[in-house]
Amino acid sequence: MEQQIKDLRLRADDAIKNSATLKELDEVRVKFLGKKGELTSVLRGMSKLSAEERPLVGKIVNEARAEIEQLIAQKNSELKALELQKKLASEKIDVTLAGRRVHAGHLHPLTLTLNRVKEIFISMGYSVEEGPEVETDYYNFEALNLPKDHPARDMQDSFYITEEILLRTQTSPVQARTMERHKNNEPIRMIAPGRVYRRDDYDASHSPMFTQVEGLVIDKGISFADLKGTLEDFSKKIFGERTKIRLRPSFFPFTEPSAEVDVSCVMCHGDGCKVCQGTGWLEILGAGMVHPDVLKMSGYDPNEVSGFAFGMGIERIAMLSYGLDDMRLLYDNDVRFLNQF
Amino acid sequence: MQVSTKWLKDYIEINLTADELAEKFTLAGIPVENVIKAGEGLEKVITGRIEELTAHPDSDHLLVCQMNVGEENLLQIVTGAPNVKQGQIVPVAMIGANLPCGKKISKGKMRGVVSNGMLCSADELKIEGDSSGIYILPDDTPIGLPAAKVLGLDDDILEFELTANRGDCFSVIGLVRELAVLTGKKPNFPEIKVDENDERNAADLVKIGIDAPDLCGRFSARVLTNVKLAPSPEWMVKRLEGAGMRAINNVVDVTNFVMLEMGQPLHAYDFDEVKGHELTARRAVEFEPLHTLDDTNRLAKGGELVIADAEKAAGLAGIMGGFETEITEKTTTVILEAASFNYASIRRTSRAVGIHSEASGRFERGTNINGTIAALDRVAQLLQEMGACDVCKGVVDIYPAPKPEVKIKFTPAQINARLGTNFTDAQIIDVLEALGFKIENVGGVDELTDEVVDKISAATKNFSKAARELGKKTTAENFVKNLGAHFSELFKNVGAKASEVKDLGVEDFIKGLGSNVENLVKSADLKLSSAYEATVPDWRNDVTIPDDLSEEVARIFGFDKIPSTLPKGNQQGRQSATQNFIDHIKDILTGLGMCEELSFAFTSEAMFDKMQVPADSELRRAVPIMNPLTDEAPLLRTTLLASVFENAARNFSRKNEDVRLFEVAPVFIPKALPVTELPREKQKLAGLLMGRREPKGWSQNPAQVDFYDAKGIVEELLAGLSIANYFVEAGEHYALHPGKTAVFKKGRDILVTVGEVHPAVAEALGIKKKIYVFEADVETLQKFAAKKFTFEHLPKYPSISRDLAILVGHDVAAGDVEKVIAKNAGQFFKGVTLFDVYTGERISADKKSLAFAIEFRSKERTLKDEEADEAFKNILSAVEKEFGAELRS
Repeated sequence: MEQQIKDLRLRADDAIKNSATLKELDEVRVKFLGKKGELTSVLRGMSKLSAEERPLVGKIVNEARAEIEQLIAQKNSELKALELQKKLASEKIDVTLAGRRVHAGHLHPLTLTLNRVKEIFISMGYSVEEGPEVETDYYNFEALNLPKDHPARDMQDSFYITEEILLRTQTSPVQARTMERHKNNEPIRMIAPGRVYRRDDYDASHSPMFTQVEGLVIDKGISFADLKGTLEDFSKKIFGERTKIRLRPSFFPFTEPSAEVDVSCVMCHGDGCKVCQGTGWLEILGAGMVHPDVLKMSGYDPNEVSGFAFGMGIERIAMLSYGLDDMRLLYDNDVRFLNQF
Repeated sequence: MQVSTKWLKDYIEINLTADELAEKFTLAGIPVENVIKAGEGLEKVITGRIEELTAHPDSDHLLVCQMNVGEENLLQIVTGAPNVKQGQIVPVAMIGANLPCGKKISKGKMRGVVSNGMLCSADELKIEGDSSGIYILPDDTPIGLPAAKVLGLDDDILEFELTANRGDCFSVIGLVRELAVLTGKKPNFPEIKVDENDERNAADLVKIGIDAPDLCGRFSARVLTNVKLAPSPEWMVKRLEGAGMRAINNVVDVTNFVMLEMGQPLHAYDFDEVKGHELTARRAVEFEPLHTLDDTNRLAKGGELVIADAEKAAGLAGIMGGFETEITEKTTTVILEAASFNYASIRRTSRAVGIHSEASGRFERGTNINGTIAALDRVAQLLQEMGACDVCKGVVDIYPAPKPEVKIKFTPAQINARLGTNFTDAQIIDVLEALGFKIENVGGVDELTDEVVDKISAATKNFSKAARELGKKTTAENFVKNLGAHFSELFKNVGAKASEVKDLGVEDFIKGLGSNVENLVKSADLKLSSAYEATVPDWRNDVTIPDDLSEEVARIFGFDKIPSTLPKGNQQGRQSATQNFIDHIKDILTGLGMCEELSFAFTSEAMFDKMQVPADSELRRAVPIMNPLTDEAPLLRTTLLASVFENAARNFSRKNEDVRLFEVAPVFIPKALPVTELPREKQKLAGLLMGRREPKGWSQNPAQVDFYDAKGIVEELLAGLSIANYFVEAGEHYALHPGKTAVFKKGRDILVTVGEVHPAVAEALGIKKKIYVFEADVETLQKFAAKKFTFEHLPKYPSISRDLAILVGHDVAAGDVEKVIAKNAGQFFKGVTLFDVYTGERISADKKSLAFAIEFRSKERTLKDEEADEAFKNILSAVEKEFGAELRS
């Protein structure tokens, strides 16, 4: 009987080894271990054995069963792995085919740039103020120390609605309006972003409408040095840590002293290139200490507080940041352009 | 203003190149826009003599020249100029020359004859002279020399872009004054001397008057007799040309020269042509004829300042002289005018008549009212030196209200505070004095403010307290050391320098601590309170307040000498709720695949026509611009759709057919027309979709967007803004398809209008595609957006769903059916979703099938099927009753 079991084992081993599929393996399992399987019938034949032989043979049968089961399990996992492999091989796709894309939305590059500028100033404690785009001559000019017939009005050709109402040429009127809202020389730290309008031809570097951010700080003891430090800080944050600034004396009726502010060229870092026309500097800002008359007109006492103000064009910063060579790209709203941001 | 560097160097000894000068000026606030280098482009132009001249074999107008340019061989050059003759000396552009006119010279053939260069005209060299032919040099000109040298082109030109406040720099002397301060060199201005060699008194010969003292502050005149008109000497011609002016004759040239030199415009009248020999500054009468020296007959608007003789206006004051009184060959006696005019009046008139002259530019920026007589004298002197006139005795000078001296009280502490600097009194005073200010120490104990006293006493208190504290717990050595630090801190506080007492020995230091502190406080008192008075030089009209002085100090020291600090104190940065709300809208829409556009605020009637805005619509009442840039954009937009439409049309014309745009921007609604006050500005949102629903791709659906894509975006937007419980109904809109327009409403407020663009509008826009748009008012959206977001708990018990498929007539709106379902669904109703709409063969042609999934749920327990069935039954009978619906089998 022992021999019979041994033979059975050998045949079972062979059969397992030769099983090529899970189905064949299952047939092997039924053939040997099933209810009517060979090993089962051996067990059944045990009744004929003597009481002494029975435990011995029983042990051998159980061992054989365990071994066969183990072999089947082993083969089973081998075959499964193999079948999975085949399945995976058959499922291969062309991964170079384009992915299924969705329409992605984009903010306008000027919004992106303005958001960066706003973030920087908000983090420095500035509030964001707004005002009307159609303004009175008073807020746009006179409250900024630009009386009628002031020669500096020539610097800005304006769109007029009436003699006294115009499209604002700068966002400074928001400063005057904000100052008027504050009483008792309250400190102010604000920026005024917004659309402004000048009667410029529409070309690669001019646009009749553009975006400005003006800033104003009023407090006790504000100095020109504070202005310089603030603009240096801002320039580094927006154009990178290597950025240097240079202030040139200039003239604006609403500030005294006044300065034009250059940053070291964002392209060549000051070595001179096409963008900075070889000078190493790019003019991006106008700034100065608020003229005492401007403070007075809006209800502040220049003997108690002082302030600085600055203004910049967002188009210029966007063009420098993104390397744009034509301002019209920003207002053409060609979706091939907008989709790049 | 442009000026040659040579002229500057006539009055100051400096060794700076034009570029260095430009940088110095610019960084001191006198911007140099451009430097024109002498002889730029003339590097390869040399003098040559025409040795032989022969006719071109193949041309009747070309000539072949054999040129002697100082080399061994003659150079053959073909020219077409008619004025060349054998033996002439002319400028020759050699091969490789890159002329200022832009011509590049290379070896070539003209009609088969080799030409090795070019003979140049004045125009080609960009020099003054007759340009009808080749520029002919004097016979004695050496040959083979650089033309630039021979032509005297060794002078670099600085082109200034002067700011509006610095009228004083509109003159060579003004510029040299600045240069003297910037370089520390002494200027050397010409001494003005006049020999009044005509016995007659000017005052007996002419009468001068001012009838409009508000517009003419001063009118000074001299009379020059025995005038001999002639060309000006070469040196003066050069200076004028360097400044961009053309020489005319000695009298005109000298007045121009002195204007450039001193900044005072001058005018010369022919004495014999001035009726009554009198000149009066008065306002013009309306329609008064003006015959100006450009031989133009003008009519006065009335009110502008003219200089009139006894009969008529003889010139627009400060802008242009009169025709009849102009200096001519016949002139023998001249009335010379130097006046001061109101800048605003000159500016207005100059703009009105469209004449911007060298004189008007100077008057607009303000001239030195005290400089008129010096300018007259300078003209007389120069003409006399040329032997061109005699000078009558005296000056006729009408100066009704002499300008008072401008005095400004200031303290150095004030200037340092404004600049954030630490300049000493001496440094500040030196700069101001160099600029011509007279500085007087006016003491100023009364300037000692309470603030200063408080500061000093607090510092002293802190100091003695610190000394006591320190003394308690340290060695003598450390005590002294640390004390030093405190001491220097104290010094800083009171504005003195620690170094002043550093030299004291330790022993003395301790011993004399008390008296040192006392002295220190005393000196600090003085430092903080010493006050000065600056008298502004009369050529500076722009300096009137201490802040102006701070600018002078800063620009002369250089803005680079100012430290960088940040404002002290903290403030909270923020933006308004509306700004955040708009940012939120933009975030949601970009998340939904929409691109933000930014467009101009202008629009036009033509656009309203294209958009089918009804003739009587409020939208047509747009704010007109008085001076629009083009006729295409004369109005301010009243609807943002105008902008999205324009952008869609531009994209379509560029073959960009898949477009999803939105914009948040204001529209302008006038309160009255014509405009009398500021219009209302309302923030609007507009969006537009056209083209493919999905981006083009190998496995993407090529279907185009439709109404429900646009509506879906609106629904997602409202959900994102936490706007709920709105209802949607069919609506009307001038630019939209009458059957495909929906209005999202909350009560009577319209949240959003969405629809398909009317085919006629699309056609008018030139877009051969279906377009879908939506528009909303930002304020209304914000009004209904939930201020606070609260989340809904996840359900504890499962829900039961029942599908209801019914057949209804085509007119029945799904939204109405949903409303009826909701109303009749009982207490456990959770929601309804329309999941299928069918029309077609399987049902009768006059019906459509609507399939709804209706969900029921209880918060307390699991519902029983019977409860859902009961509700379903009620719903069914309701829709049967309301819509004649039949259950679809």
